[in-house]
Amino acid sequence: MSIFPYLAAAWLFLIGLYGVVTSRDYVYLIGCLTVIQSATYVLLLAVGYKLGAGAPIFADHPPGTPAVDPVVQALVLTDIVVGAAVTALLLSLALQLQKHRGTIDPDELKPTQD
Amino acid sequence: MSRHIRSVAFVVMALILVPFIVAGLSGLPAFGNYPGPYGDIINAIGTPVRHITNMVTGVNYDFRGLDTLGEEFILFASVTGIVMLLRGARGEAKSADALRIEHRRREGRSEAVMGAGRLLAPITLLYGIYVVLHAQITPGGGFQGGVIVFGAVLLAYLGEGYSVWRHVAHSTVLDLTEALGAGIYVIGGLIPMFFGARYLQNILPLGETKTITSGGLIPIINFGVGLAVAAGFLSIALELLEETRATGGDGS
Repeated sequence: MSIFPYLAAAWLFLIGLYGVVTSRDYVYLIGCLTVIQSATYVLLLAVGYKLGAGAPIFADHPPGTPAVDPVVQALVLTDIVVGAAVTALLLSLALQLQKHRGTIDPDELKPTQD
Repeated sequence: MSRHIRSVAFVVMALILVPFIVAGLSGLPAFGNYPGPYGDIINAIGTPVRHITNMVTGVNYDFRGLDTLGEEFILFASVTGIVMLLRGARGEAKSADALRIEHRRREGRSEAVMGAGRLLAPITLLYGIYVVLHAQITPGGGFQGGVIVFGAVLLAYLGEGYSVWRHVAHSTVLDLTEALGAGIYVIGGLIPMFFGARYLQNILPLGETKTITSGGLIPIINFGVGLAVAAGFLSIALELLEETRATGGDGS
């Protein structure tokens, strides 16, 4: 039971990597990258979890009540937002590629010739 | 390299990788047994020494404030990259001029979508601002609240149409707001140094716990992050929506 979260993280990482390797489309590849990224979220949150503890927020219960690790939550929270912006940057790269080369299939891209 | 060889290579490499993953994971503490002590210490001292009740915010904007500065600039660099890639390729003049698209057609929008957008946009905006301002008390903060504010302005796009949205999300205003947000963080961190303290050290009055002014420096730089995130995501949406206009025509 207690290894399921770690297995889920490993599975997300490998299935995302499989998607990257077999992708025939950069938009698909970027989607797979975010799957790999979410593996790190699952792993981090699993490491910081404490059985039976609550959220590390003491607005409605007094400080000192058992709470999970706030550090990993802070890491994940900032990365979700920043990761979304980085994904948008990658998608705009794919957009420019489509405009300039007419394809976003990595296999059809040949080195540019001037 | 053919697709077949690539798939075989992946399977081989994945099989080599699996023992390393298993070895790495087996060295971790068992699930549900967080060993501490870093997180436990922060949970214990956050309220007495910083007058905050949301420890995640405490980690982000105080105990590890410098790391969040780095994250903020990753966001800033991504937005700058997107604007350079898309607006740079399209030309500056066309992006800045909102009047050109005054009569962009409102095709494909049902009245239900418009009504829902108009109804939900102000409520969502208010909620987003609430989430930003209560960062140090309840779940929330500049990152989450900034994204909710961004969502509210996108709902205004659904409710009011493209030209109104372009007047709200004006690229110059967004650029300035994002720079202001990042500037508040950087300069807010410098202020303690004028008083002989370290960068981002929290020397401001801490205020009363569970009020929106509590936490000293935390609400200030948190607000900066909220501004930067909302304006940054709006810049991204603006540039991406402009792309659809450039290729698909504006219908005017």
